[in-house]
Formats: sequence, C-alpha cells, structure tokens
Amino acid sequence: MEIEELSELVRLHGKALYGFCYKLAGNKADADDLYQETFLKAVELRHRMDADRNAKGFLVAIAIRLRKNSRRKWAWRRRIAPTAAFDEAAGGNAATNATVALEHEVLSRELRGAVQAAVDGLEDKLKIPLYMHYTADMSIDEIAAALRIPSGTVKSRLHKARMKMKKRLEVETR
Amino acid sequence: MNDQEKWDGLLRQALAPAAEPDEQLNRSVLQRIREGKAARRVRRKRLSVAAMVAVLTLCMSVTAFAAAKLYSSQQVAERLGERGLAAAFRSADAVPINQTVASGGYNLTLHGIVSGAGLRELDGPSHDIRPERTYAVVSIARQDGSPMPATSDPSYGQEPFFVSPLIKGLKPWQVNIVTMNGGYGETVLDGIMYRLIECDGVEMFADRGAYLAISSGSPFFNKDAFDYDDQTGVITPRKDYKGVSALFDLPLDRAKADPAKAEAYLRQLLQPEQQSTGEPAGEASDEAADLAGQIEKLRNKIPEGTVIPDSVQVVTYDDKGWIQYEYDGWSARLPVADLFEEGQTGDTNAVQFSGDGKRFKALIFSRDDMGVITGRVVDLK
Repeated sequence: MEIEELSELVRLHGKALYGFCYKLAGNKADADDLYQETFLKAVELRHRMDADRNAKGFLVAIAIRLRKNSRRKWAWRRRIAPTAAFDEAAGGNAATNATVALEHEVLSRELRGAVQAAVDGLEDKLKIPLYMHYTADMSIDEIAAALRIPSGTVKSRLHKARMKMKKRLEVETR
Repeated sequence: MNDQEKWDGLLRQALAPAAEPDEQLNRSVLQRIREGKAARRVRRKRLSVAAMVAVLTLCMSVTAFAAAKLYSSQQVAERLGERGLAAAFRSADAVPINQTVASGGYNLTLHGIVSGAGLRELDGPSHDIRPERTYAVVSIARQDGSPMPATSDPSYGQEPFFVSPLIKGLKPWQVNIVTMNGGYGETVLDGIMYRLIECDGVEMFADRGAYLAISSGSPFFNKDAFDYDDQTGVITPRKDYKGVSALFDLPLDRAKADPAKAEAYLRQLLQPEQQSTGEPAGEASDEAADLAGQIEKLRNKIPEGTVIPDSVQVVTYDDKGWIQYEYDGWSARLPVADLFEEGQTGDTNAVQFSGDGKRFKALIFSRDDMGVITGRVVDLK
C-alpha cells in the first residue's frame, strides 16, 4: 500500500473508524491509541486488504481484534478513566446530527447518556455489531463480512441488542 | 414511524460518532507509517539484566527437508516491511542456506543470513539496517501440517521460541541474541511462522565458529535444550529435551574474523558494570555499552513506574517445580533458583524488559516472607 492510498483510506474511513474506536475505548487517549494502532496493523496486513471491497470493514475488524487482545488492559484503563470524557464529547456533538432519522427530536443529554449506559451493559457480541452499524455506519452485509458471520446472525444480534436495551431503558425511565 | 424505525433513529443519533480524529492524529498516523515504524512495531526487544534462564525439554531428530514451498528471506523481509533488508538478502553478500531440520514436532528452516559488508552499501537514512549487525530469517512449521497461529490469533506466541546465534567457545547463556542487543520481527504466512532476527554482528567471531540455535519453551536461552562443553566450547542440542532444540552451523567467512574487535566486544558485554568508566572499544563495544546503559536507565525507572494491576499474579508451578507466569504476551517459566538466592525475599535482581525503543515495560518477580512469589509488569514511563 502506498502512502497515497493510505491517506485516502484515512480520508474516507478515518471518521467512522475513529468514532468506532472512541465507542470501544471510552476516552480520547485510548481511542487515539486504538485508531493509530489499527492503521499501523492495517499496513502490516495490507496484502489481505482489498481496498475496493469493504476497506472500512477490514479496518473495523482490526480495531475489534486489537481491542479484544488487550481487553483486560482496556478494562483497567476504563476503570480509572472517568466516563465524563464521553459526556463531554457527546454533548459537544449533539448539534451535528441534524440529518438523522429523528431530526425533530434532539436527544437530551440525559437520554443519550441513558442509551450509552444501556449499550455499555451489553455483552461485546451484541455491542460491537451495534457500534459497527450505528457508529461506523456499516451495512448488515459489511458487518457480516468483517465479523465472518452470516448476515442473518448480524440481524438477529442487532435485534437482540435493541430488545435488551429497550427493556433496560423502559425499566430505568419508569 | 413504527417501533423498529423509532429505535433505529434513536440509536443512530445516540451512537453517532462522538468524536472525530483531529488533524494532528491523522498526520501522526501517516508519519509513523511513512517512517516505516509499522514494521518495526512488531519487533520486540527483549533485554535481560541477569540472565533469565528458562526451561523445557527436548527431542530432536535431524532430517533434511526441501524448503521449496517456503518464502525466501527476501520475501519475508518484504512482508515485514523491511525493504532495505529485502534488498540485502538479494545481494551477493547474503548467504542463502535453506536447510531444514525436524525437532520437537516442528520443521525448522534457516533460510539465510546477511551481515557486514553486504549491508554497508545499503546503509543510509532511508534504510533501517545497520552494517555492523547480523540479520537472519528462520521459519517454524508444524510437522503435522496444522497451521501456526496467526499473529492476530489469541494463541499466537503462547509457545515461545528462542532463535539466536550462538558462538562456539562462548557460554551460550552469556552470549546470545538477548545480550547481543537483539530483536526480531515475526509474521505468519500460510500457516508457517517466519522470524527475522537481528543482533550485533557475528562475523567478527568467524574464526571461532557460530551456530544459529532454535529452541522452544522460552524466549530466552534454555539450558535444558542445549549442552555446552566447557573444554571444547562446542554446543550441542540435548537429546532428552522434549521441545524444539536445533542448531545450524553458520557458514561465516573466516577471513572476516576480527579477534581484536571480538575481544573488546566481549569485554564490554561480559563486564557491563565497568562500562561507565572504561574507554569505548569500537563500534560494537559502544553498542554493548549503550545496552548496559539503557538497561541501567530502565532499572532506575522501575521505582517510579506504574504497576499494571492485572499483571500482578502469584506464580503457579509446573510439575518440575518451576514457576510459571503468563500475562498479556509476557511469559516466564524457570526454576526458582534462577530468580532468588536461598532465603532471599523482596524483588529479584533478574528483570525482563520489553519495549519498542520508546516505551518500555519490565517484568519483575518478588518473594514474600511466606515464600509466595508474585510477578508484576511495570510500565516505565
């Protein structure tokens, strides 16, 4: 991969990948690390990447693997890193999502926090497809290819994740 | 809008990227890649203050295999992003060896070696190679044909290997890749693990004779895997060892031997405590001095380092009574006597360092009054 191609990858997928890394890591410092490590690993594994086909999936899959390999470290760092970092970033971002489906409803900071807490409570198997779909904006097929699971499984995991979150949010808002 | 769509919208908004990479971060990523740091990142440098002699058992049968299906040294260097080295392995000074032996259930192949003058013309700011170093490529394949774990596989690295030049007539636990400022890059291609090693140049020892050793069970030299004859200086694989233990003769050009340089190098290497006051004795000795100085610096950082909480683990013992410690790629398996004197409590003197040249971590063991040995990894900021 030439540096120009990589620059193009960063330009095309940097935002989605960073958003995904931020969700996984939970704070800026760890997100920066994971983002950098993902691109560096992608260069190592570049012979496996077909840039025309699901390059974003390739990058996201690397990020997942890197995070999984060091999940104990991440878990520890998350414990000592205050979750305030998320609130700060989420609050600053509220006005930038005007085109989303619920354009008439600006989510309150509290609701956003509640949704995030509900996602945090999910197991990785459900949480990761959620982030891939809603944060990295990947299609069901792209997620299936990146995780090497059938599309039907992705759908059922997303459905299950939504159901679990719904249950949890309903309990909390009662 | 149905329930599903509402949820979709809610999640899309709530989970939208909460942050973006700043320009500086993107520039840093591109810069690191441009400088070739991606390839060097996989290189692990293991430095050891006191020799952490590790363990296992061997069985070996020597058989010749054709290396036809394997990648060449040049291809391996290319895969590891080492373009300069790939060119070096193509040069006339590279020595292709392609010799395979079987040991401990693995086929081990020494592909080739390059050092000295062959590298000199390639040395320069655009290449990450140094003419005073020696580089070699080996591959490790399972005899039963099953693939070695990919580097992304959680089981990768769980069976540690030691790959190192050893010098005839020099105690292998004192002079090996660890003490010779060595490092390696590793990759798994088509189920076969390839390792590109580098360390201080061995050509100066050409008059003595040198080996390339491979053993399993520990990333360090393993006394159970090899015998060293004090009288003759000959090193041999131990037949009673149940893991991998193999030696290749390195075909060094005797004309390139430099006994004076070798002597000075060894003086520095074997007496690191005198380095700070001694006069430097040439390039290689400077490196040895640098290494000792670096180790000392790292040692001094330990008290102020940050202990990684998850790494704090009471060691377990194997059926031989040797301690076992595993944490996040760190692995130690060795007799207690190699760590502590009889009755000694507190921290051991033997410390294992790992780092990428910028940031280092140390593995330290301590023993309390009850004899409980605990390992911990310290992040040396």
